[in-house]
Amino acid sequence: MESGINIVGFACSYCAYKASEMAGSLRLKYPEGVVIVQVPCSSRVDPALIIKTLFEGADAVFVAGCHPGDCHFIKGNYYTRRRIYALKEMLDAFSMKGRLKLFWISASEARRFVEKVQEMYSQIKKEKDEG
Amino acid sequence: MKGKRIENGDLIKTLDVYLKETRGILFAFDVENKNYKTKMFKELPKDIRFLNPIFYVNSSIYLRRVFSESIKIVAILRPCETRAYVELTKLSQIESRSVICGSFDCFGTVSSKKEDFSFPYDPRELKVFLESSGLVRYACQVCGHKEGIFGDFGLRYDKEWNLWFIPYTERGRVLFDLIPSEETEIPFELEVKEKKDETTFKTSLSEFRKDFERCIMCLNCKNMCPVCFCVDCLFNTLEYLPKGDELINTILRCGNTELPKNVEIYHFIRMYHVSQTCVGCGSCEEACPQSIPLTKYFKGISGRLQGIFDYLPGKNFDEKIPYTTFKEDELPYAED
Repeated sequence: MESGINIVGFACSYCAYKASEMAGSLRLKYPEGVVIVQVPCSSRVDPALIIKTLFEGADAVFVAGCHPGDCHFIKGNYYTRRRIYALKEMLDAFSMKGRLKLFWISASEARRFVEKVQEMYSQIKKEKDEG
Repeated sequence: MKGKRIENGDLIKTLDVYLKETRGILFAFDVENKNYKTKMFKELPKDIRFLNPIFYVNSSIYLRRVFSESIKIVAILRPCETRAYVELTKLSQIESRSVICGSFDCFGTVSSKKEDFSFPYDPRELKVFLESSGLVRYACQVCGHKEGIFGDFGLRYDKEWNLWFIPYTERGRVLFDLIPSEETEIPFELEVKEKKDETTFKTSLSEFRKDFERCIMCLNCKNMCPVCFCVDCLFNTLEYLPKGDELINTILRCGNTELPKNVEIYHFIRMYHVSQTCVGCGSCEEACPQSIPLTKYFKGISGRLQGIFDYLPGKNFDEKIPYTTFKEDELPYAED
């Protein structure tokens, strides 16, 4: 990547991934360094995957799923909420708080998706530039 | 809460009767050349001890290997071991129908890596001995749950050093009914009180790296952890750690990689996976050949993460492990 910033996103295929596709068709731009991994449900994302990603060179990771209550599998994202929140708390204990984010994005919220990713990207870039 | 005061020798008699009547098995500690051994007995041994001041392994990992429909196993263990037993029954690793496990008041333990000591038999003297020796393990120093209030029954000392038998579940009641003395109200100081672990652990990645630079990835901490039970652990083989192109890419991306590579991945994943069930027994630290202060991190992190859901592992059998359940309306600040 030109800017040297790698952000990996795990996006639920029923909402956040659809939103990213829609952002493409609306010609909205989000930074190049963001790589999206399509997962069947945000609760599929084992925290082990996130930790592996973080320590193998990703600057930050985000997990994006449907809004609570809108899960395609009825209750998957409720589990995600507990797990990712706990993982964020754990990373906070190691002073790595900003490196994991959790977003709720529905399939129609392409603009929101781009905004969130852009905001996260600029924050990570700022932190990295400051060293 | 009701309990029975145990007169001299009553406990041993009761256990003897129970083992003979039900063809049961006792899981307890035995002394052999000053060394305390965890053993399973068909009959009561001559020199049985309930208080074991030397910590080798969290004994509940052995309970994972025994199950039977007809034969009951009676175990009298430390509070931390009993809590791990409760957690493992929730995770379907121990068949709770075949095990009656109670906790005995604990006064702290000494690492088995230390030289041999002869410990006094009397609980009062043992407590004084342990307090004055300064040898108590770090995990026991910071432990806030040394009372025998976990599992199926508890064996506890009151202020005058009388031993009390207190049943907590139906299984514990079976043994309770065999004790000859009268059922009475237990003294005030033995009532179960709500307690919380401190939840302010804070460290940094550089501090973590400094402490763990000695790690040789022997995976002993994983093997000896009572609640780290997965048969198909990610780290059974080292496949999960970067290798081949992945490793080369990691080096190209990060500039360098330390060897043994990626101890952070292993310890972070393990820390997260046991975060809700960690009982803070410190057997990981005991098993570590490099004397890494694992308890500090594991107990600190798990204390913080359990605090989010107000969960104390091993408190009771019915409470679900937080990651396996949810409430619809909670954690409003989870989203960024």
